[in-house]
Amino acid sequence: MTATLETALLSTADTAVALSAVRKVFGHGSSAVVALDGVDLKVKPGEFVCLLGASGCGKSTLLNIVAGLDGATSGELQINTSRPAVMFQEPALMPWLTAARNVELALRFAGVGRLARKRRALELLELVRLGDVADKRPHELSGGMRQRVALARALASTTVSADGSPALLLMDEPFAALDAITRDVLQSELLRVWETTNTAIIFVTHDVREAVRLGQRVVLLSSRPGRVVREWDVTDSSDAVLDEINTHLREVISGHAS
Amino acid sequence: MATPPDTLDKVGAGLDALDVPVSAHKPPLWRRFLKTGVPPLIAFALLLGVWQALWASALLPEFQLPAPVNVWNELVRSISTGEAFGILWTSLHRAVLGFLAAVLIATPLGLLIAKVRVVRAAIGSLLTGLQSLPSVAWVPAAILWFGVTPSTIYFVVLMGSVPSIANGLVAGIDQIPPLLPRVGRALGAGRFASARHILLPAALPGYLAGLKQGWAFSWRSLMAAEIIATSPQLGVGLGQYLHNGSSLNDINMVIAAIFLILLVGIGIELLLFRPLERAVLRARGLTGAL
Repeated sequence: MTATLETALLSTADTAVALSAVRKVFGHGSSAVVALDGVDLKVKPGEFVCLLGASGCGKSTLLNIVAGLDGATSGELQINTSRPAVMFQEPALMPWLTAARNVELALRFAGVGRLARKRRALELLELVRLGDVADKRPHELSGGMRQRVALARALASTTVSADGSPALLLMDEPFAALDAITRDVLQSELLRVWETTNTAIIFVTHDVREAVRLGQRVVLLSSRPGRVVREWDVTDSSDAVLDEINTHLREVISGHAS
Repeated sequence: MATPPDTLDKVGAGLDALDVPVSAHKPPLWRRFLKTGVPPLIAFALLLGVWQALWASALLPEFQLPAPVNVWNELVRSISTGEAFGILWTSLHRAVLGFLAAVLIATPLGLLIAKVRVVRAAIGSLLTGLQSLPSVAWVPAAILWFGVTPSTIYFVVLMGSVPSIANGLVAGIDQIPPLLPRVGRALGAGRFASARHILLPAALPGYLAGLKQGWAFSWRSLMAAEIIATSPQLGVGLGQYLHNGSSLNDINMVIAAIFLILLVGIGIELLLFRPLERAVLRARGLTGAL
C-alpha cells in the first residue's frame, strides 16, 4: 500500500506534463477531421522535448491543448508545473509597448507588483542579452531581437510562481520565420537559457536538424491523424540518428501521396 | 552545428550591433517650420491674391463678392468689441459638451457592437446607415420634439457624432490581429485584463480616427442646427451669426462667419487630433503618413 503511494508520488514529481490517449476532433459528422488520435506523451521536469512532424500532424493543436488554449475531445492531460508559457512562430509583441513593458505585461497579468515587475523584466531581458534595448519598441527591433523579447516574455509568465513548481515552456516553431544565421544564434541562445533556468521545454518544429540539435528527445508524429510514431533519445546526437529520423519523416510524408 | 558556442555568441553580438536602430536626429525647429508651416501660408496668400484680383476685376457686385479688407475689418470689429469671443464660446462649449457626451455614449455602444454578435447583427448596419444620414435632417424633427431649445441642438450633435465614434471603435477592434488576444490568454489575462491591456490599446488607432471624424461631424451638425434653429433664448453662436449676416444682406459678416467656423475646425485638428494621432501612430512605427 505504502509502496504504491510512493510510486504515485514519485511519478508525479518525475513528470512535468503527461498526456494519455489525447484525441482531438475538429468539426462534426462527416466533415469531422481527426487532428490527434491517442497521443501519449510524458515530459520530465527540465526536459527538452522536440515534437517533429510534417504539416497537418497536429503539433500545434497538441501544443494548444497543453497550453490550455484549446480543449481535448477526449483523453487526459496532467500538468505539474506552473502556468505553461507559450511562444509562437511570430513574436506577437504588443506594438504599442516597449520591449521591457511587453515583458512586464506577462508579470502584470500574474499580479506582480510594479517595482518587482520592472526589476524582473530587466533581468529577463538581460538573460536574452537585450538589456540595452529595453526601452525600444518592437518596430525598432530586428526579427531575431523581437523573438528574443518574446522568449523573455514567455519566461516571465512561466517562472513567476515562487512556490518552486517546475516551469514549462511551449514553443511553436519559434524560429521558422528567421534567417539561417539568426536562427543558428537563437538556437544556441535558447539552449543557454534552458540550461540556466531549468525549464521543461516542448518545442514544435518540422526541421529535423533543429530538433536533433536542441532536444534531448525527439518525438515524431504522423500526419492526419497525429499519432506518436517513434521517439529517439538524441542527447548525444550523431549524424546516423539524424539520417534515421529523416528517413522516418519522409516515410510518414510519402504515405500520404496517392 | 560544428560552430563552437563562443563564436556563435560573437556572431549574435555582431548581429545585434548591426540591428540596433540608428536613431534619426531631429532637424532644427526652423527647418521643420520651413517644411510644414510655409507651404500652407503660401497657399493662403495665393488664395487671398486670387480673391483680391477677382474683386478688383469687379465681375461680381460688391454685395456678392466683398473686398478681402472689408471682411478683415468685420473680423477686427467683432474681435475688438469682444463679440467674436462670445460667439465662439457659445458654439465651442456646445460642440465640446456634445462631443464629450457622444464619446460617453458611443464607446460602450461600439464595444457592445464589436463584441456581442447579436447586437452587431441587430444594429450594426443601422449605425453605418445613420453615418450617411446628414444630421441636419434631424433638425425639423428635433424642433417638433424639443422646441427651439438647447436640447434640440445637442440632439442633432449627438445624432451626428455617435455613429462615427462607435463605428471607428468597431473598425479598430475588428482590425486587431487575432494573435494578440491569444497571446493575452496564453499569458493568463482574464476577460477584463485582456480588454484593458490588449483590446483597447490595440484598437486605439481606429478609435482615434473615429473620434476625429466624430468631432468633425458634431461641429458640422452644430453649425447646421444653429443656422436653422435660431431663437433669442439660444444666444448667438457661429451659426446664428452666419444666419444674421444672411438676413442683413451683409456679405462681410457671412464670409467672416465662414472663416471663423473653418478656423475652429482647423484649430482643433492641429492642436488636438493631429498631435494625438501622431503620438499613437509613431509609437507603433506607423510613420508612413507623417
